[in-house]
Amino acid sequence: MNDIILKEIGKIVIPYIQIFGIYVIFNGHLSPGGGFSGGTVIGASLVLYKLIYGPEMIKKIINYKIVMHSMSIALLAYGILKGYSFITGGADLHLFQIPLGTPGNILSGGLLLPLNIAVGIIVGFTIFAFYSLFDEGEL
Amino acid sequence: MKIIMSVTLSLILIIILLFGVAELPEFGDPNSPVNNYVSQRYLDKGLEETGAMNLIAGIILDYRAYDTFGESTVLFTSVICVLALLKGTGGKS
Repeated sequence: MNDIILKEIGKIVIPYIQIFGIYVIFNGHLSPGGGFSGGTVIGASLVLYKLIYGPEMIKKIINYKIVMHSMSIALLAYGILKGYSFITGGADLHLFQIPLGTPGNILSGGLLLPLNIAVGIIVGFTIFAFYSLFDEGEL
Repeated sequence: MKIIMSVTLSLILIIILLFGVAELPEFGDPNSPVNNYVSQRYLDKGLEETGAMNLIAGIILDYRAYDTFGESTVLFTSVICVLALLKGTGGKS
């Protein structure tokens, strides 16, 4: 797709979509939203980028290695963080717990923010990987 | 004969399931078993136990975090499966 109007509009719109997605993820514990919806928004922006600028442009930024590594690391981080929380909280071991902070701040809610980010990374790359795989059979 | 058998079997199954549905509590019934101590506990102590203003996030990422972990694993596994099936086949071209 080699359309000048599409490319110029995309330059303006895509950063706002991505910033909105990041806002939804990072405010997941304060306002409606969270990892799943914010990740979907970011994945949609990646799909739009690939539709407008073609597969060669996005391969410089996001390739097979980056997608697989980020998804695996995010899933492992989720498991380790929440597993630690389950073990210490469930067994009542009085080990170190992440403090909850004052409700209403961005940095509050203990593990909710990192878990939201991990879920957002997984969902966003899932959307992008599905589009990419069904479109041309490779990431 | 096959058609009569399958129609009879479907009718019996439909009647059994409808008897099951008839036992469900009405919508908005205050005495339904859904209104138990679990949702009350979430509403009363959700903020101080999870520190989340958005109670939904507090439930799905703190009380029910294992469920969300499973959902993320489902997404990851589906990407791996589609990758194993479709990588290198060149869908559109």
